[in-house]
Amino acid sequence: MDAISTRGLTKYYGRTRGVEDLTMCVPEGAVYGFLGPNGAGKTTTIRCLLGMLKPTAGTSDVLGERITLDGATLRRRIGYVAGEVKLYDRETGHWHLDYVAGFRGSKGVLTKDLLDRFDFDPSKKVKELSKGNKQKLALILGMAHDPELLILDEPTSGLDPLNQEAVYSVIDERVAAGRTVFLSSHVLSEVERVCDRVGIIRSGRLVAEEGVKALLGKRLREIEVTFAEPVDPGFLDAVPGIDKVLAVSDTVLSARAKGDVVDAVIKRIAERRVADLRIQQASLEDVFLEYYRAADGDEAHVRAEGGEAR
Amino acid sequence: MNWTLLRGTLHQHRTSIFWFAFGLVSYSWMMTWFYPQLGGTQYADMVESLPPEMLAIFGGTEVSFASLGGYFQTEYLGLMWIIIVASALMIFAARAFAGEIAEGTMEFVLTQPVSRVKVAVTRAVALIGYALVLAVSSFAPIKIFGPKYDIDLSWGTFWQLFAFGMLFMLAIGGLALLLSSMFRGGGKPGGIAAGVLFLMWIADLVANVSEVAEVLDPVNLVTYWQPGRIINGDPVADAAWWLYGILAAVTLVGSVVIFSRRDVA
Repeated sequence: MDAISTRGLTKYYGRTRGVEDLTMCVPEGAVYGFLGPNGAGKTTTIRCLLGMLKPTAGTSDVLGERITLDGATLRRRIGYVAGEVKLYDRETGHWHLDYVAGFRGSKGVLTKDLLDRFDFDPSKKVKELSKGNKQKLALILGMAHDPELLILDEPTSGLDPLNQEAVYSVIDERVAAGRTVFLSSHVLSEVERVCDRVGIIRSGRLVAEEGVKALLGKRLREIEVTFAEPVDPGFLDAVPGIDKVLAVSDTVLSARAKGDVVDAVIKRIAERRVADLRIQQASLEDVFLEYYRAADGDEAHVRAEGGEAR
Repeated sequence: MNWTLLRGTLHQHRTSIFWFAFGLVSYSWMMTWFYPQLGGTQYADMVESLPPEMLAIFGGTEVSFASLGGYFQTEYLGLMWIIIVASALMIFAARAFAGEIAEGTMEFVLTQPVSRVKVAVTRAVALIGYALVLAVSSFAPIKIFGPKYDIDLSWGTFWQLFAFGMLFMLAIGGLALLLSSMFRGGGKPGGIAAGVLFLMWIADLVANVSEVAEVLDPVNLVTYWQPGRIINGDPVADAAWWLYGILAAVTLVGSVVIFSRRDVA
């Protein structure tokens, strides 16, 4: 069963587009990365999934239930951490924990564990907390009840690397326990670290959806070849899929390879004596930027290469 | 209704509830204390001799200042009390929906397992609870301290005054809550509700010197606010009870319906 599925989800704020014709599925037990720059429609999508916004068109199902504005029983099974933490400034962490426990009927089973792991002191008022500590409190409040589905909107914003790692390890544990995580982010290293599948949203539309490993493995490679003798700067131009060839010196060429072109590259450079060869997978960031560099007219190209963008 | 949310809502407003209640208790006690010095004296004759337009500013045209009801209406309940309770309720109501949506805390509430309808009903109940506290703080001191200062307010009169004051406050608070359920940010609903009340006060004032403004009287909350008549043992117009009651019911129910159907972001 899918933990999240949307069909033609569309939300307009008056004439302003929030998200348009979004169709996607997040299988149970997955860690799904939802990538996009600010304003792409990530938060709008999440708010539609949480029943805070009424879609202009389309439907969404979460954990097998149709989303409505009044879905109280469904929210019992969901944990949400907002990107921009908004809590009651004059109240303490303890007060917030008790408040949430009051709604949910009991203290979260993971409360103590999370307080220890994030080294968080709940006795302080929210207005006295740093941005990072507010984020820790929001994470504890969202995750303490061990929800079946965790919806995290840029969850490590403001956290130091140690606490970021703590968040990742909690996510890993919850997924190992069979939970599903929907992670919205524009921190690509984070998505690369924890997600097994990623959807890329641009201008309110899902432009690609693929496994992180496949995305990293198939898309882009940075190639640098050091020849034993001078070569023509256009030596690699003839190889299909190679672009941005740069002659670093008369013996060193660097280039970007897109698609499954490694075999063709090896065959081409084998025509000369090679002193050194370095092939490096492009980071998810490079892949991401590649998607965003594409003009609207190139979307079909991206989709064809990306496989099953929906 | 949700008890956790009700406790939380009242807890978050604890400071303003305390100070408004403390202020009203002090003010009511002070006006009760001053009655023997000001009511039925030369000061009363002076007030009585003021032009009706000036008396209208303090809501004192319908009852004589020389009477107990006229004293309380002119010196306290006709203007200052309205300003105090309207401020308290409008601030509370404006934050209940629109303010919390703009601050982002409504998003936190709505990610908990509580339905929109329960959130809205609880906020309306909290407003009623707040009005109850304000009513007790306003009228109980007159009943409690009154006998010491030659004021004998019967229980029947007290409860009638209490109920009339509650309905008046709920009409004003309900209007602000209804506006709060429509907007994002507490400024607009608070400002519009205050503006509407101010216009009603101006219309009531103008109606005392010009028949043109009397056309608004049947729907003017301020015109119908005659607690002095109740204190004097006289009846207030049935239309006053109906207007306040219907407005309170419609606006409170309307705010629940609108909030349960709107976007929250």
